Amino acid sequence: MAKVLKEKPAAESPSEARGTSVIIDGHYAPPPEDKDGKLWVRTSMLIQSDPETLYRLWRDVEKAPLWQEQIVEVRRTGEKTSHWVMKSNEKNIEWDSEVMADEPGKRIAWRSIGGDSENAGEVVFERAPGGHGTMVTQLQQFWMGKLESVWKTIVDRNPKQAVIESLRHFKALAETGEIPRTEPQPHGPRGTMGELKKSLYGEKIPVPEGTKERISA
Amino acid sequence: MKAVCWMGKSDVQTLSVEDPRILNPHDAIIKITRTAICGSDLHLFDGFIPTMEAGDVLGHEFMGIVEETGKEVTNLKRGDRVVIPFTIACGQCLFCKKQMWSACDNTNPNAHLMEKAYGYSGSGLFGYSHMMGGYAGGQAQYARVPFANVGALKIESDLTDEKVLFLSDIFPTGYMAAENAQIQEGDTVAVWGCGPVGQFAIASAFLLGAARVIAIDRFPERLALARNLGAITVDYSDEDTSVLTALKDLSGGIGPDGCIDAVGLESHFSDLQGIYDAVKTTLLLETDRPGVLRQAIQAVRKGGTLSIPGVYGGMLDKVPFGAAFGKGITMKMGQTHMHKHMKPLLERVEKGQIDPSFIISHRITLDDAPEMYKVWRDKKERVTKIVIDPWAAKAA
Repeated sequence: MAKVLKEKPAAESPSEARGTSVIIDGHYAPPPEDKDGKLWVRTSMLIQSDPETLYRLWRDVEKAPLWQEQIVEVRRTGEKTSHWVMKSNEKNIEWDSEVMADEPGKRIAWRSIGGDSENAGEVVFERAPGGHGTMVTQLQQFWMGKLESVWKTIVDRNPKQAVIESLRHFKALAETGEIPRTEPQPHGPRGTMGELKKSLYGEKIPVPEGTKERISA
Repeated sequence: MKAVCWMGKSDVQTLSVEDPRILNPHDAIIKITRTAICGSDLHLFDGFIPTMEAGDVLGHEFMGIVEETGKEVTNLKRGDRVVIPFTIACGQCLFCKKQMWSACDNTNPNAHLMEKAYGYSGSGLFGYSHMMGGYAGGQAQYARVPFANVGALKIESDLTDEKVLFLSDIFPTGYMAAENAQIQEGDTVAVWGCGPVGQFAIASAFLLGAARVIAIDRFPERLALARNLGAITVDYSDEDTSVLTALKDLSGGIGPDGCIDAVGLESHFSDLQGIYDAVKTTLLLETDRPGVLRQAIQAVRKGGTLSIPGVYGGMLDKVPFGAAFGKGITMKMGQTHMHKHMKPLLERVEKGQIDPSFIISHRITLDDAPEMYKVWRDKKERVTKIVIDPWAAKAA
């Protein structure tokens, strides 16, 4: 990824702020490491669409609940600001978010500006080598102790995996116009083990709705 | 509706469950007119495939009548007669566009489970564990079919269900196995396992130009079917027979050009390696029993091709990779790219080149299914293929 962040999503040292870049000066750059209560996740998916279309889908923040896990509402509050509501374990988590960088068809960077969650992120849209679609790379940062992360993993979705799953939903929605799901579907009695397995496999987390409209060209 | 449910290892029950419904815009609900039990269902029955949940509806070979369609399904309508491929494919991702349909990126809602085990996830499958998607299967009266606009094969002729049902899995799977063996006109091909996939691999090998096909099994009814197709049969359970010697004798000493392992992870060997695999799988030190794979690597000629339609699930021990390298062989394998093969194979059935119903030995009801899983596993009653009419009443 040729792009180097100029804005620092959360006033970090330059090495951390460069985290979305997979390639720096021709060399592979690994994702930033978790430390000091900050968790990072970087994930990339190849999507059969063009960067402009994918940028528009992502930038339409009020539609984020259609593909982002456990996000139940996003309200635009200004040209660059929005209010986010996440529902996790029947509990609402709310925060405000601000777009820090916005390059149509190329990238979006954002950070939280108050509320129950501290997070920052960036997404970069790049044409894949050989014209095989668009590489969408997301870097997301959370402030959370490891203990809290372990607890979330047990009772809910690990926040890192949630970012990966949401990008997977984004890809499915962009490519096919829907997000794959199985619930509710016919089944016999699950028993205690069956229910436990459903939790372990993350099947109890609701799959976002997707859309009835086809988005990719 | 009635459905065959997996309730645990060696425990399958026919139960009354909810009807399926449309969940996504490219879904269709199919009223199932014929379905079948697949050899690979026995891997589930025997508890070899992880991530099954009690209550899962089994079955991935089915066909029927379109009952209802989602908003975006424009090429099907209520009343259409369709065969459903066992792999679910979106038709839009890079892999679908490359015709690698069973590698579809977008149809496994539990892709993260498979990524942990395999690195990347393949397509979702019907009724075949939660790692493979967790979709309810088709040994039932109705099924929800995701991406029905991409997968469902319309049957517009008056061919009977029994002649087209196997386009849902085993005929394309046997055909792709023969194609993967890279058969050239005049080749000698060996096929391990004369179950349904093996039978279709034999038939397809001849369709693709093989001059000699050698079929290996131990059940007389299966060997008889293979001979009917024109194969030369080898009974590996015969004490005087060595499969490796037989294959040399039948190929002028060079080995078969193509070898097809249509057995997979539960092969049976009574020699030392059989005991080794039994001990290691029991102790969970090995997940699969790859006896046929080892033998096929040994048997194939220099520069030959090994094609593997038999299912493998996990970690294999003592695979003679040195022999594979030393002879410079090619190995091709994987879930069938159904969507690529169904239509051309339907045309072959329509032209009368093959009647896939030749393998059917048993026609049963849903209520008979639990008992027939046992019969099929134990290879009793000369069973070769079991077909279910989900609407037939159990005989008194």
